[in-house]
Formats: sequence, C-alpha cells, structure tokens
Amino acid sequence: MTKLIKDTTRRGALKTMAGAAAGAATMPLWARFAQAQSSEPIKIGFQQHSTGIGAAYGRWYGRTTEAAVKLINENGGINGRMVEIVAEDDGTDPKRGAEVVEKFATQHNCDVGFGTLFSHVVIGSAPRAGELKLPYFVVSEGHHVASGMLNRYTLQPGITDVKSQVQAMAPYVAENLGKKVTMVFPDFAFGHDHRDFFTAAIEAQGGEVLEHIAIPPAETSFTKYFPKIPRDTEVLYHVMVGPAVLTFVKELGEFFGPSRPEMFGFIDSLEAVAIDSPGLEFLEGTYFWEGMPRHAQGDQSEHDKFYRAAVGVNERGASVSDPTDISTYAHMFGCWETLYVIKAGMEAAGYQGPGDRAALIEAVEAMSDMPESRAHPQGAKVFNGKTHQVFGHQYISRVEGGKLVKVHTTSIEDTFYPDEVDYTTQPL
Amino acid sequence: MKTWLSSAILLTVSAGLAFAHASEQGFVLLLPTDIYITAGVASVALTIVLLAVLPPGAGEALFRTVPLFSLPRLRLRHLTSLVATGVMVFLVWRGLTGPRDPLVNPMPLFVWTVWWIFMVSLQGILGNHWRWTNPWTGVGALLRLATGLRAPLRYPRWLGHWPALVSFIGFAGFLLADIAPTDPARLATIAGFYWYFTLMGLVLFGPVWMVRAEALTVLMRAYARMGLLGRARGRLAAGLPGWQILRRPAPSLVLALFMVILLGTGSFDGLNETFWWIGFLGLNPLEFPGRSAVVTQNLIGLFVANAALLGVFAASLWLGERLAGTGRSLREAICLFAPSILPIALGYHVAHYLTAAMVDGQYVVQFLDDPMNTGAHLLGLEDFYVTTGFFNTPGTVKVIWLAQAGAVVVGHVIAILLAHALAVRDTGSTRRAVLGQAPLALFMVAYTFFGLWLLASPRGL
Repeated sequence: MTKLIKDTTRRGALKTMAGAAAGAATMPLWARFAQAQSSEPIKIGFQQHSTGIGAAYGRWYGRTTEAAVKLINENGGINGRMVEIVAEDDGTDPKRGAEVVEKFATQHNCDVGFGTLFSHVVIGSAPRAGELKLPYFVVSEGHHVASGMLNRYTLQPGITDVKSQVQAMAPYVAENLGKKVTMVFPDFAFGHDHRDFFTAAIEAQGGEVLEHIAIPPAETSFTKYFPKIPRDTEVLYHVMVGPAVLTFVKELGEFFGPSRPEMFGFIDSLEAVAIDSPGLEFLEGTYFWEGMPRHAQGDQSEHDKFYRAAVGVNERGASVSDPTDISTYAHMFGCWETLYVIKAGMEAAGYQGPGDRAALIEAVEAMSDMPESRAHPQGAKVFNGKTHQVFGHQYISRVEGGKLVKVHTTSIEDTFYPDEVDYTTQPL
Repeated sequence: MKTWLSSAILLTVSAGLAFAHASEQGFVLLLPTDIYITAGVASVALTIVLLAVLPPGAGEALFRTVPLFSLPRLRLRHLTSLVATGVMVFLVWRGLTGPRDPLVNPMPLFVWTVWWIFMVSLQGILGNHWRWTNPWTGVGALLRLATGLRAPLRYPRWLGHWPALVSFIGFAGFLLADIAPTDPARLATIAGFYWYFTLMGLVLFGPVWMVRAEALTVLMRAYARMGLLGRARGRLAAGLPGWQILRRPAPSLVLALFMVILLGTGSFDGLNETFWWIGFLGLNPLEFPGRSAVVTQNLIGLFVANAALLGVFAASLWLGERLAGTGRSLREAICLFAPSILPIALGYHVAHYLTAAMVDGQYVVQFLDDPMNTGAHLLGLEDFYVTTGFFNTPGTVKVIWLAQAGAVVVGHVIAILLAHALAVRDTGSTRRAVLGQAPLALFMVAYTFFGLWLLASPRGL
C-alpha cells in the first residue's frame, strides 16, 4: 500500500539502533530493536507535488524526505517505531490536495500530514486537515500560516515565511547596496507580497522605493518595461519567476550594458538553474537571498556537509549522479527539518497513535529554540508556538565567478515581526 | 460550503509563493526558435513545390518497399498476449495496493509512459506490435479453446467504428480533463473495468469487437499503417513510413474521423499547456491553479479543437475538389485523405511527449530495478537518481528542441508526400493532383507552423 523507507537489513538496523538516543532509550537494546521491527510504523502522509506545476520541486522534496526518513529509521525511528512515508500526489492542485489530506486521515490511517509546498495547495488543504484534526506540517514558505488564515492543526516549523525573509533583507540592502530602490516583480500575489513586505522594510531602514514595476505574469519580453527604471536607482530588486526569467536577465543585461545599478534578487527566480549557465553572465556581482547557500561555503558547517551527503547533493548543490541536475537547495531543507520537528514533537508528547494528535500539536507549540544541528542543518531557529511559524537565519550571497558566495547572514531577530494570530486560543 | 469558502479565499487572499520553474522552457525561450520555425515551415513548403515539378510517379516511388524475409508462421501472438495480460493483472493489483506515488507505482507508469508514450510511438514508427502485446486476444483464444464456443452474437454492422470513436473521446477527456489521471488506484479501477468490458465484447462478438469497437486497438491499428515494417505479399517488408497506407483501401468515414480526432486531441494536449490557453481562460500561468480548476474548460476546448480541425480539414478538401474538379464527394475525399494526417499526429505525439519520456522513462527504469519496493536493485542501480539536468543546460535543451521540431517537420513532409501520392493515384495527373491538393497542402504548412509554435511557446504546466 505504501512505500516503506527503512533500512531493510537486520544488521543495518541493529548497528544504527545502537546509536539511538531518545525515545525508547530506557529499554534494553534487543527490546528496542524488537519493538521497532514489530510495532506498527508511524505513518507520515507526504502530500507531494509529483505532477503539475510543482513537479520540479516535488522531486527534490521527495528526495530530501526519503533521505531524512532513512536516517531517522536507521537511528531507531520515532518512539521506537519505524517511520513510513505514504506519498500521495496532489497534482499541485488545491482541490486534489484537500482530497489527499482526507485520504491520509481516513484511508491510510496516517498519523500526520506533511510536506506541502505550493501556497494555493496549502490554503486549499489546511481547512480539511483542521476539520479532520490531522496535524498538518507544511513546508511552503507562505505567510498564510503566520497570517492567521489557517487553523490550529496547521504548522510550519521547518521553513521560514516569505514575510520574514523579505523584511530581513532590508537592513543589508540599505547599508551596503543603496537606499533608492526600484522593484521589478510579477503582477500577482507572489510579487505583491514582495512589494508590500520589502517596501515597508526598506522605509523602516530610511530607504525608499522609487518605482514599483509590475510585470504581467504572461509576459515573455521585458525591454519595454526597463525605461521605467528611474535613473537615480541605486538598487534594482527583482523577483521574476517562471520560464521567462532567463530572458528577463538577458534583456536586462542588454539594456544596462556594463553600467548597472546594484542588483538584488531572490534565488526563487533561478532555483534549480545553474547560476553559471550561459546567458546569466550579467548576474556576476549581483546579490541573492538564499534560504540555504546552494554552494558549499568556506565556513561550511559539518551539518551542511552531512545533509548534502545524505540527500546526494554535491558542493555546487547538484545531484551527485548528474552535476547538471541542480537541486532546489534553498527550500528543500524544510522537509528534512520538519521531519525532525515531527520526531521531536512525537517524542516529547509520548505519541502513541492518532489519539495523541492534540498532544503532538501542543508539544510542537511548546517548542522554541532549535539549535543548529544535523536535525537543523540550515541553521538555528526559533519557533513561535502562537503563530505556528518558525523563524531563522537568512543568507545573502553574491555571484562571484559563477559561484554563489555567502556575504551576509541575518540574525534571527532580523526576521521577527509582531504576532498576527494566536492559534493556541483555538480549541483542539 | 466549505469548498466554496476555500475557493473564495483562494481567489481573494494573497497566495504567497509561486514556483513556476525556469528550467527547460527558459532555455527554449532563449533559442532562436523563430528561425527554426521558419526553416521547418519552409522545408514543408519546399516539398510541395518539388512534388509539383517532379513527374507524377515520383511521390509514390518514394514509398517503394524493400522485401526483407518471409515470415515464419509462428503462432506465438496469443502466448505473448497472455504475458501482456499477466502484466496487466499485476499492474491493476499494484495500482490498488502498491505505493500511492504515481512515479513509483507501476500502474500509472505503464499506462502513461510505457504504453501511451513508448508503445504508441513504437507502433507508429516500427509497425504493428499490438498484435502481440495487447492484453485481450490471448485470453480470448484461451477461452475459445477451453469452452469450444464461438462468439454467440453478431456485431451489428451499423455500429461500425462508432464505439471506438466514442470511447477514444472518453479516453481523451480522461487524459486531458480528469483531475488525477495518474492516481494509481483510480487508474487501476478504470483500466481493470475497461479490460473486463473489452474481454466481454471479444467473447460475445468475436475479434471484430477489437477492430471496430475497442478504441485502443483501433488507435494502434491506425498507427500501424505508419510503420516502417509491415507485411507485403507474405513477406516482411520495409519502406518509408506511410507505405502501408498506400497499399490499403481507404478507411470508412468513422475511422477517417477517428484519425482526424487523433491529431486534434494531440494538438489540444499541447495547446492546453501554453501560456496562451491559460491566459485565454483568464488564469495566471505562473500560478496555475491545478487541473480541478479547468475540467469544464478543457472538455470544451477538446471538443472545439477537434470540431475546428475537422471543419478546416473538410473545408480544405472541399475546396480542393472544386479546384481540381475531380468529382469526388466530400465523404470520399475525407476517407481518401484522412490517413495522410496520421504522420502529423504521430510526429506531434513523439515531439510532445519526448521530454516526458526522458524523465518518466527514468522512473520506469527505477521501477524495474525495484519492482516490489523492497529496496531491491535487480538492475544494480544502487546510486541511481532520476535527473532532469538535461533541461538545465542550453546545449542539451537545443538538441532536445530540435529533435522535437524534427519529428514535427518530418511528420508533415511525409503527410504531404502521402497526400500527393494518394491524389495522383486517384486522379492520374500531377496537375490535377497539385491543384486539388493546394488547399490541403496549405493547411499542412500552416499546421507545421502551429505544431512548432506549440513547442516554442512558454508553458504553464
């Protein structure tokens, strides 16, 4: 019925069980081993974008999830039980997403739902998770969790939200790149979030946005918009997405030639695209937000090293089996970290089965500091139990010789904003 | 109410992040596709000019065959069909009970990748393997052998190919408008019932059911006419794809319509992914809301696209008959020339699915490596990860795009040659054939442009 990701050899399980720490640690080794093998597994429903517009991300979310679960199982599972991933394709479709959540709860007897990326799918699925009281751990970056529009059963403990990311960029941009900013963004919700969050944040730093240039989403040529960029622009903030991104960069290069303003963008535009691709030379010397540095840095942590090896990603963020296959490195760590939060939450709650779902929610809500570790290779984080949203360091990288070189790490405090909701007041 | 509410929220509240990815299509947009499209359209147009100046038999001469060897009378096809049935049973079982991920479960992998992409393409390129690989005829023969019974019912003549046409439209609707055509259990249920239903037809009406009423067999037999290899005078022979069309009688009207609808459906399959179509529906292509939001629209689109193609095709033929004064009825013209559309449909099928085949083919290999999800590596692919790296480098994207464009252009060139050969044979004169062909040829040139434009357009899916 489901895909069981676990170490299938007895020897392998035994070997790794020896290293298991938490949970069933009080039992003798043989008992733990016997229990892990004989108990019902913990079932995690993985709402995967296997098909549809999110498939490119879904593939890497899948690969990261598989790697994390394999590791968790090798180390004794959760509360002495193996973890089983039940991956269901939601077609990157909100209606289908809600159906999938329902299947997790009623058909597959999953303990929790997990892994949704695209915001519209999260927004379409979360109400169903709330009704079914199925803990629903999303990995979406959307502000929808912390904005208060979802419910007590929906949490985002493994990846920061776009509002905190954007706002944390402003101090560095204002201090190092310039205070007069022109923003170019696609004219729909995603672009509007950037417009609203960054405009407010840069103004708080004493800067200003000279011009907002909204590009119609279906546009594939951009030359006609560039003359709108004011001449005294010091920083061009760009967040284009979709197939025309490369054309955008190329045409921008043709427009500015050698004398361009400073440029700052979000790596979302070029996620899964090699930064040294022909045609992207113009990006040399420009800056990008990265959720997690794609290229291994000089000060690479042992956790990043470990995580890359486990997922099968090399020092340039590409698949170890094909150096041209670039991962969605800035986002996919969210699956890994979320799974470790689920593990920690279940262990804290003494989770035994669906009857303990409410206790699991409370256990996760009680979390706050998450130190950088193998469980959190992207960096330390602070979870806000009221807003169900995690906060963490953000990275700014500069393109130098076709490499993304980290030049700034924000503090976690840079990413804070006042609470907009307190989910703990809602009934469980 | 809840659903309504959440859709309302979806429409009105900021949706946060979108991740329409930049790969492949991004590099395609950087290619000088205008030049490639012009070159492709020009080669098709040039074919027409050449045919007009060459002597009458030149077109047909291209379709001469080379006899290969006499075919031994081996009666293995029922045996291989039984193997296919076994595979089918396995797929349905795994579809219902195996992993839920459509890229891991063999049911969707075999239906959409192995069958719909590879086996259909192979049928059109090589020849009729469906005779050996269909999952029904073997069981049918076995039942006949065991019971000694002949088909108790006569297939009503008036039904003709209608059941096949209707069920093919149903198949197309499922492919294009169902919200989860890759869901393993859903697909297993549908495929299982269809298999059983077809077997009943075969048992009750005999083999005629397969060639008249069963859409997949009718589709496969239609494409088999395009195959490089075929039977000629008891020997296996090879020739330019399309030679078998020239050796066969013209199809019935409904079968001819079936062939046109094959192309119309394939084209809409491409069209419905473009920014143009998504924009036409008033949706944001960078934030495509998912298949559930376009079910009705895609069904209407499928219907309109096929009706429009049929209209333009018939109008071209009607105009051609008037110009050349051949005195053929429109019905005769449609039946005569519809097979010449098959290479266009096949070329587009190959082009459209090439990229999907390159990715999903890897998932098929992964399945073969570990067919029961036990962590086995039967093919020894321990460190094998599915890759899409070839979509991320300009060099490979160019090669892939040109291969797709090549399939479209070759399909159209063969279509023009075929239509010309069919016309010359029917009228006996090049001048009349060319004149009568002019509107159809013009249509094919325009369709080349359309097919290449589809490949070069930005897509939102």
